[in-house]
Amino acid sequence: MNRPLWVALAWAALLALVAVVAPAFFDPVNLRDLIVRASPLLIVACGMTIVILARQIDISVGSQFAICGVVAGLLAREGLPMPLVAAGTMLAGAALGAINGVLVARLGLPAIVVTLATLVAWREGLRFATEGVWVQDLPATFQWFGLGQDIGRWLIGIGAAAVWASIAFVLGWTPAGRAVYATGSDAEVARLLGVRPPLVIAGSFIVMGALTGLAALLSAVQFIDVQANAGIGLELSVIAAVVVGGTSVSGGRGSLTGTLAGVALLATVGPALTFLGAPAAWERALQGAIILIAVSAEGFSRVRRVKEQHA
Amino acid sequence: MTRARLATPELVLLVLLVGELVWFSLAATNFLTLDNGLEIVRASAEVGLLALALTPVILTGGIDLSCGALLGLSAVVFGAIWRDAGQPIAVAAAAALGVGLLGGAVNAWMVAGFGRPALIVTLGTASLFRGLAEGLTGGAVNYSGFPASFLHLGQGRVLGLPTQAWVLIAAAALIAVLVHAATIGRALRAIGYAPEGARFAGIPVGRRLALVYLLSGGAAGVAGLVYAARLGQARADAGTGFELSAITAVVLGGTSIFGGRGSVWGTMLGLVALGVLANGLRLADQPAELAGVLTGILLVVAIGVGARRGRA
Repeated sequence: MNRPLWVALAWAALLALVAVVAPAFFDPVNLRDLIVRASPLLIVACGMTIVILARQIDISVGSQFAICGVVAGLLAREGLPMPLVAAGTMLAGAALGAINGVLVARLGLPAIVVTLATLVAWREGLRFATEGVWVQDLPATFQWFGLGQDIGRWLIGIGAAAVWASIAFVLGWTPAGRAVYATGSDAEVARLLGVRPPLVIAGSFIVMGALTGLAALLSAVQFIDVQANAGIGLELSVIAAVVVGGTSVSGGRGSLTGTLAGVALLATVGPALTFLGAPAAWERALQGAIILIAVSAEGFSRVRRVKEQHA
Repeated sequence: MTRARLATPELVLLVLLVGELVWFSLAATNFLTLDNGLEIVRASAEVGLLALALTPVILTGGIDLSCGALLGLSAVVFGAIWRDAGQPIAVAAAAALGVGLLGGAVNAWMVAGFGRPALIVTLGTASLFRGLAEGLTGGAVNYSGFPASFLHLGQGRVLGLPTQAWVLIAAAALIAVLVHAATIGRALRAIGYAPEGARFAGIPVGRRLALVYLLSGGAAGVAGLVYAARLGQARADAGTGFELSAITAVVLGGTSIFGGRGSVWGTMLGLVALGVLANGLRLADQPAELAGVLTGILLVVAIGVGARRGRA
């Protein structure tokens, strides 16, 4: 069973349903807004795919996202040109990721507990530092990179697509990508093959952080101010998208194609619900149901595979 | 060797707790009073119920990220049955408990029946339960105006202790017997160490796993009632993040996140340490956020000490 294909089919079915019931959904403006809103999610999901492929998990991305957004705002307010702001924000994210990476790879602590701790510590630390105040009085170059709404939106969409394509290339066609799969499949065998699993694991957390920083920037530039409490619950939507896309939480199996399909499906469900006339309050319940269906579908196919082997 | 045995997580935690008590009794006004002590218990009861039920779950090497969301769903169902359906409090409370057990059964079915990873299953059910609570209330309805007889559960006292303290004590006793005095406890540890080995040893792994997730769901149902009674209201966002506090209490208490090792007594200590920290910082006029930051650091240190011990 090809998971990305099934998810894409489910997505197509959803779009077909919307096309029949509420064709207004396919208004170009609406589609454009949908893509702009899903872009940061896709970028974070790319990083999460790497982390999960390496058999780790990062539930602190929501807090990293909030910190990086504030960092972007502060740097821009200092008058830095936008490329430097972007670099600084990604660097901040990479530093936060490196803390997770060192604790997990170097000290051998379980990723779920480490990132649970950093999730709480970063979130509360940020609240402590900003006292909940938004970053305001940003220069005109900040919103939409100072290029106006149209070009700004294009840039966000293109940025997400570029990140997706380059990570997909690295994972699928380079030794670094193979090392991630090998580490996640069996760290001991990977070590014997000359891969250094601690390095791969730390690296995956650092890339995750840098991508979260980029996503936070691309999300922050859509508004006039930077919220101090962005990204709450982001880890859930992102992990959900990755898992729905067929990446296995036990590591070593999955693809970015799947993640793209997962993000597309989960990001469309909410807006589609609104267009179908269902109350938006049910969005999260539906997302939860989709995750459970995806998780149990994997269970079924595995049972079938085992049965075939023993037949 | 002796030193390693002396430095149990529980002992480290006890030292930490004494440190907290000394610090706050010097730095905070009205900290070391009986009333404040009871206040800490009252404020920790819901997270405590979740943490107690999480202890056997984590002992088996599993996790339940959905318990906070399930708390919210049962609180909302309680409010809806009582106010919207006009049923008596007892019926509404039974329905809330039923929702908790049903939610636990979904987790049990997916984890024990299907053999799917608990982390992802309960991540999904967390979304589902919270989403159902949001859907039922339209994200806006706030149930309140409960009768005084019900609010007594969350705000009153029985025999000098907050009412919910008795619920917490009963739950602690039940879980302690299950984990430490029953053969089931042995089975749970065996599953945590090596599920395959436990199966070969004749332990009904599926049924034991189903039991702990069912218990966790039931505890979330009870905690939902206590929450509604303490705050006098039930909203869809009730108990947001409680699962994280509960996991922190369990892990801080020395239970290994990989399963196999841990104690109910440690969980209670972890719970008290967290409760005292939050309360003491507030009374010492320290920002509330500091509690979160310190909790995160404590968690990393505790797990670091635990990992070192596990490897030695």
